[in-house]
Amino acid sequence: MTKKTRLIQNLILLVFVLYALVPVYLVFLAAIRSEADLFSGPLTLSWPINFANFGRIWNEAGFATYFMNSVITAVSVTILVLLTAPLAGFAFAKLRFPGKEILFALFLAGLVVPAPSVIVALYGNLQAAGLIDNRIGVILPQAALLMPFSVFMMRTVMQDVPDELVEAAVMDGAGLLKIFLTIVVPVVKPGLMSLGLIVFLFAWQEYLLPLVVFQTETLKPLTVGAASLQGRYGVDYGGIAAAGLIAFAPLVVLFLAMQRSFVRGLTAGAVK
Amino acid sequence: MLTTRSAYLFLAPSLALYLLFVGLPILQVFGFSFFDWDNGIAGDFIGLANYQRLLGDGVFWVALWHNAIWVVLTLAFPLLAGLVIAAILAERNANVVRWLAAIYFIPRTIPLVVAGIIWGWIYNPIFGLLNFGLEAIGLGGLGGAWLAQEDTALLSLNVVGAWTFFGFCVIIYLAAIQSIDPALYEAASIDGASWWRKFRDLTVPLLRGSTLFLGLYAAIEAMRFFDLVWVTTQGGPGYATEVLTTHIYKTFFLVGDFGYAATLSVVLLIIVLSISAGAFALLRKP
Repeated sequence: MTKKTRLIQNLILLVFVLYALVPVYLVFLAAIRSEADLFSGPLTLSWPINFANFGRIWNEAGFATYFMNSVITAVSVTILVLLTAPLAGFAFAKLRFPGKEILFALFLAGLVVPAPSVIVALYGNLQAAGLIDNRIGVILPQAALLMPFSVFMMRTVMQDVPDELVEAAVMDGAGLLKIFLTIVVPVVKPGLMSLGLIVFLFAWQEYLLPLVVFQTETLKPLTVGAASLQGRYGVDYGGIAAAGLIAFAPLVVLFLAMQRSFVRGLTAGAVK
Repeated sequence: MLTTRSAYLFLAPSLALYLLFVGLPILQVFGFSFFDWDNGIAGDFIGLANYQRLLGDGVFWVALWHNAIWVVLTLAFPLLAGLVIAAILAERNANVVRWLAAIYFIPRTIPLVVAGIIWGWIYNPIFGLLNFGLEAIGLGGLGGAWLAQEDTALLSLNVVGAWTFFGFCVIIYLAAIQSIDPALYEAASIDGASWWRKFRDLTVPLLRGSTLFLGLYAAIEAMRFFDLVWVTTQGGPGYATEVLTTHIYKTFFLVGDFGYAATLSVVLLIIVLSISAGAFALLRKP
């Protein structure tokens, strides 16, 4: 490779590093600055770090509650998906039964269904079931919307389980559920981990469902809280930045800590 | 492979959830679209009258046009960036690759609501970094109220969309490149092929499958994105950033026209299902 080629390549890599990180850095900067020097001064970190914005947002603007709500919703959706999708993935990967192709195609079609296109009917159904302004009214539809992706991914993961492993256990007379729990689950643990992380990420980021389902302030998650903060306190930039940081920092940390697992999940459906 | 009817028990929980909260609403939306609605109560059966309304609904066509632009821009920019970056990274050492891939993916972990707020500031005409930066390099004349002007709003938003998406493309392309036989590249190098030749004649054709996958993904996302527009412009100024999903949302929650909102939903569903059917047909071809 010539020196010039290498230089151009490094330049491209650098430009995209800046594209990715500068907006994140700006929010961080705005969040730790006092109001007085928010728009003045250089774009370097000021010292000492000012945590006043976080304290104000956390305690007075209700972000402690929003945060807890995001945790509750995202964890519930993740558990629900982890309890259901792997079973279906196992059936599609390792079992034969009438109607298999049609049922799989049914899930496959769901991969592309936009949430806004079902909201018109879903909203009425939730209302009729008394689930508007109720956590269940977000958790169940959210898990359902993530189900096609999850089942699809689990099928891919389960295909890597050797058939002999399952067949040998059947010969020994073990029940299918027992085989699934004691033989299959231990083998696909990394895949389950990946699924859990990705579902958690998507559930935490969800905006439309909680926006239309929750009316009570104390039920709303961070995404809805941050968006409404922009309207209510339009000029409290330090506060909004702190709120934004609270809304995404856990995801960034989680991703950086579990990168390998995330990437395995993201590529599971794509490469095969 | 084991043939057993207990497979249905394994499918039951996820299938029930899926049918109840996704399948049923889809059928209902189809049904709703054939009726006249008044205050949330179904009135007369009006056949295809709601669909006829689409023809005269200027906002619908503008929104559809914006979705189409968004599809093209997303296919062009983040996919190409992801491909080039992945091809460059393929020849770097593993630690550099791991760190850069992580950095490029960080925007995707940020909720679109927050991404919209952050970029709203960058585009702010008074204190935004973009105008400030343009002024600093002597191009202040190009500055403007990016999200508040009809001619720049959609493009400016698309830059935000690309920001959250190109890292995903990098990761998908990287995984695919790493599964290509290195001997192919070595052979090309021995033949004296330049980096560009190898990129054009080896990498791009060999990654066709990933490109199709990402293309499908990008097109579907471009049809169904909502959060980003809703927290920044709500479809404005005027209808400059109106897309199908915001049109549905407004028709349903603000106007309360159930029948027409359902009709728009059906159109959106038909479009995404057609796109994916077409892409699957392409993927099946060797």
